[in-house]
Amino acid sequence: MAGRAQIPTRNSALIAMIADEDTVTGFLLAGVGNVDIRRKTNYLIVDNKTTVKQIEDTFKEFTNRDDIAIVLISQYVANMIRFLVDSYNKPVPAILEIPSKDHPYDPAHDSVLSRVKYLFSTESVASDRR
Amino acid sequence: MAEIVSDQLQRASLDETKVKNEDEEEEECILQFLDSLDAYLTLVNSLSSSLREGWFDLASARQSMGHTRISSKLFDHKVHSASTTINITELDADNPSDPKPQFSLSKWATTKENPSSEVPNNSNLRHRVPIGVLDDGEKSNGTQVSSVVSNDIQKERSKSLTIFGGLVSPKLRTAQVSFETALDKIVEIANARSSMLSSFSQLQLNKKSSS
Repeated sequence: MAGRAQIPTRNSALIAMIADEDTVTGFLLAGVGNVDIRRKTNYLIVDNKTTVKQIEDTFKEFTNRDDIAIVLISQYVANMIRFLVDSYNKPVPAILEIPSKDHPYDPAHDSVLSRVKYLFSTESVASDRR
Repeated sequence: MAEIVSDQLQRASLDETKVKNEDEEEEECILQFLDSLDAYLTLVNSLSSSLREGWFDLASARQSMGHTRISSKLFDHKVHSASTTINITELDADNPSDPKPQFSLSKWATTKENPSSEVPNNSNLRHRVPIGVLDDGEKSNGTQVSSVVSNDIQKERSKSLTIFGGLVSPKLRTAQVSFETALDKIVEIANARSSMLSSFSQLQLNKKSSS
């Protein structure tokens, strides 16, 4: 496909998080927290005061950083910026939608599964058979 | 005349073999796609379980330690590097049009950047000499190295816990383990995603070339 870049081998890349407080707390306990020289963190805690603009800006920032390998985003947060998440198509960083305490994972909303689901639609199967 | 017919038959046979090979490749690609899709869904389900355990333990720790002691206000905002990071390699470097990144987890690297302190996710320690041939001195040296590594890892783990105070609830330690397990699954999900998208794009290319 046009515009696909080669993936450079990268060591010590970060895991970024856009999720609720408990999820971020848990992953920080597991050692993924990073604060760089500019005092920028690799996580955003989403609560009822977080605006959609903040989430969008953080998502764009994380997906444009070279030092991030995986972006974890709670699925209910991804639903707030669904257009942005679905239009993202770079291989790295990988965007993974994860469940949250109050919102279980729904495969119907997952952006990766939405991209590939047309392979299973009856329309595509029927048109191939004609 | 006979030569022309034989030539035509040969070409038809070659075409048939070519189509057969293409069909086999496509079937293999479809199988790979379905396998990675199945792995992706299974792993996400498993991740949900690990996360639920982690949230439950965190809630238990919060109840025993108090809400103010486990809060995002206590997070360390001083400059520090992540102890657990990801290594990325490209699986099929010969095919730049179809990138397939491979992710691996590196847990609890120390700040001293001692390579022997890092624990790769598969924990395969390399031995230059088969274990049975090592003499007692070398065996005890190997044991000392692995105990130094596990001490360093324990130090890093404890450092993560100390942001919530010196004495923490055992539930907080259990929550830490649950989220570490969740990280392992996340890396596997990332690899399954990569494989799925790679085989999906291959199928799309095959479809375009055949239509």
